[in-house]
Amino acid sequence: MAASDSTTDDSLYPIAVLIDELKNEDVQLRLNSIKKLSTIALALGIERTRSELIPFLTETIYDEDEVLLALAEQLGTFTPLVGGPEYVHCLLPPLESLATVEETVVRDKAVESLRNIASQHSPADLEEHFVPLVQRLASGDWFTSRTSACGLFSVCYPRVSPAIKAELRNHFRSLCQDDTPMARRSAASKLGEFAKVVEIEYLKSDLIPMFVILAQDEQDSVRLLAVEACVSIAALLQQEDVEQLVMPTLRQCASDQSWRVRYMVADKFTDLQKAVGPEITKTDLVPAFQVLLKDIEAEVRAAAADKVRDFCQNLDQFNQESIIMTNILPIVKELVADPNQHVKSALASVIMGLSPILGKHNTIEHLLPLFLSQLRDECPEVRLNIISNLECVNEVIGIQQLSQSLLPAIVELAEDSKWRVRLAIIEYMPLLAGQLGVEFFDEKLNSLCMTWLVDHVYAIREAATLNLKKLVEKFGPEWAQNTVIPKVLAMSRDQNYLHRMTCLFCINVLAEVCGPEITTKVMLPTVLTMATDNVANVRFNVAKTFQRIGPFLEPSAVQTQVKPILDKLNTDSDVDVKYFASEAIAGIAVIFSFDYVNVSA
Amino acid sequence: MAESSDLDRQIEQLKKCEIIKEAEVKALCAKAREILIEESNVQRVDSPVTVCGDIHGQFYDLKELFKVGGDVPETNYLFMGDFVDRGFYSVETFLLLLALKVRYPDRITLIRGNHESRQITQVYGFYDECLRKYGSITVWRYCTEIFDYLSLSAIIDGKIFCVHGGLSPSIQTLDQIRTIDRKQEVPHDGPMCDLLWSDPEDTQGWGVSPRGAGYLFGSDVVAQFNSANDIDMICRAHQCGNVAAILELNEHLQRDFTIFEAAPQESRGIPSKKPQADYFL
Repeated sequence: MAASDSTTDDSLYPIAVLIDELKNEDVQLRLNSIKKLSTIALALGIERTRSELIPFLTETIYDEDEVLLALAEQLGTFTPLVGGPEYVHCLLPPLESLATVEETVVRDKAVESLRNIASQHSPADLEEHFVPLVQRLASGDWFTSRTSACGLFSVCYPRVSPAIKAELRNHFRSLCQDDTPMARRSAASKLGEFAKVVEIEYLKSDLIPMFVILAQDEQDSVRLLAVEACVSIAALLQQEDVEQLVMPTLRQCASDQSWRVRYMVADKFTDLQKAVGPEITKTDLVPAFQVLLKDIEAEVRAAAADKVRDFCQNLDQFNQESIIMTNILPIVKELVADPNQHVKSALASVIMGLSPILGKHNTIEHLLPLFLSQLRDECPEVRLNIISNLECVNEVIGIQQLSQSLLPAIVELAEDSKWRVRLAIIEYMPLLAGQLGVEFFDEKLNSLCMTWLVDHVYAIREAATLNLKKLVEKFGPEWAQNTVIPKVLAMSRDQNYLHRMTCLFCINVLAEVCGPEITTKVMLPTVLTMATDNVANVRFNVAKTFQRIGPFLEPSAVQTQVKPILDKLNTDSDVDVKYFASEAIAGIAVIFSFDYVNVSA
Repeated sequence: MAESSDLDRQIEQLKKCEIIKEAEVKALCAKAREILIEESNVQRVDSPVTVCGDIHGQFYDLKELFKVGGDVPETNYLFMGDFVDRGFYSVETFLLLLALKVRYPDRITLIRGNHESRQITQVYGFYDECLRKYGSITVWRYCTEIFDYLSLSAIIDGKIFCVHGGLSPSIQTLDQIRTIDRKQEVPHDGPMCDLLWSDPEDTQGWGVSPRGAGYLFGSDVVAQFNSANDIDMICRAHQCGNVAAILELNEHLQRDFTIFEAAPQESRGIPSKKPQADYFL
């Protein structure tokens, strides 16, 4: 095509190469060239793009899927390159071919691009070029073109004449009753968006009967898509129409024999709730929700359990509490002991959210016993979900009440045999501490925090160390000096080298929050004595600690106390001690550059 | 220090379960060989140390192990072989352990398991994994050459004897182990094979092993070996079930045995762990 003409002009040479590459045998080269299609079009100008490039591309449709995918994507943004909205319809032929290919990814991309450019058509062009394309696709021989057609109705329908609208509705109706489940699935998935643009009388007369048919399809994969359409359709109708036209179908979906359909209902439940409004929610959805929460399939129960909080939250204020107390809560109580752990875990992740809705009295009387049994559940994920949501209960019943009732369970979890459960509890400590206040904390929780420091598991010791720092940030250095530091320093004499090192790790983080005076006068002496530890690991961690806490030490102490010890460690018999000592010396020299260089010179 | 910072970078990369370049593997193995060649067949290890069993390419369980036991170099470790095969991440697992060995030779000890062998790794996954991840078997060659240099056993404070498999009827003293020329592929029989293949059994004396290599040995054999060599205990791996366990020995040789679960599914990369068949190997 244009390649030979362009080569005469040097500036067009790169373009000529790209165009040649469009025809190259190597897929990768063709792909690269397709991705730079806009550059080629720009160089050719709008006229030749329309008259030469687009027809050429329409012919190359028999390429590898990868190339076609790139092409389908590019064409969606090609309008300016063919001369703007006036000429946008010339992009339709290649996209129409792409919308019929066998590979789903390519087809979907072509439909996406067609949807993009539909709005750029004038109403006249839409009727003259776009609608005929939709009609051709909708009556194509292969299901591939018919599935593609389904996605194009909603983008052209609003802007065409009533006569054409009627034709489009007829086409869509026949797609809903297509022989192949693939086309019916596609129609069902686009039913919702099409319903939004169809006039209300035709929605009732033409589309809702289709919705009813799809919702009774022999294939459950079609029926479950009708549930999604149900949300959109219900939102468009008046209360009494919803009751008459939609609810019978929805009731039937909620008790469908396929669990995948019931799962879909459970999964969309809060959307449905919003769409049908408070009255139908009360009369219909509440009983349906009860049934779903008791479904025989665990997947359905889990999906429903996951919606408990939002469903309750969205209930009409007027009878919210009574519905929850009489209809929902009794079933929730049963679910707490569900045999399936995914159901229990889904419930545990939302159940605390009922507390603000039900208020203090009901929380204490009805919810706390449930939380307590969940805190003791055999499944760690359930326990974890409860612990990580304690906050919203705290806001309702107050920390005093919360700690009195739940503290025993929390203490139990603090000694759980699964270290990840212990870890979750530790992460909750600073929050609990902040809300409980110093006195209560010292009395009930402080000893736990110190026990974690000598846990079997390193990850727990590490978290406990960080926890200590956060506690000091809350309660201040003076509290640290009286309560925590003495216990930390005592660990420097522990039998086990791992615990002696934990002492150093604590000092590393406490120095930051305690300030130079406490660090130098109280903690430094212990670090210095540990430099002669029998175990090399402790000695090189002394060097590391010096480097870490250097900035928080009084400069004079660095000169007179730290430096001599580091110099000694630098001649240690252990290679690693020497290495970390020399690193520390270099690190400290940077911080105290002036003084240190002088002294060492 | 350029060398150790380069090594530190490779360690960081391997800790993220990303492989290092083929050329880096070659250099790493060359350095490892220099260190391992100096080690005895009964490598001396000082307490305190944490003793660990088979890892078998379960990279995420190794990470879990470090979470429970602490990081290198803070915690000292002795790994008793079977680093590779079966799991999906033998390459990352072995190279991480080897890189840590090169970076901190005094803090971590690696001894050989029966899977550290050319023959076994061609059947149980390491060979295929190297081929898949590097596109050639060069890395498998480098690694299996290093396997030949791994020590056969270790002794902690002269009191706790550590070996992958167990004892051998041809070995009565530690000195006999010391005289083995270990720099070879694991033989099909003989003392070196037995150390890596044998299992203890609740009987007396010696028995035929169902594995087809090594022997079964009874409690009297252990008692005899312990008293002849003045040791308190034999520590071995080779038969781990579905739980991981580590043995922490403090500087007074007090023992603290921690059992923990495999890493949770969500903390693993893809592919997820499939239940392993219960082979006897």
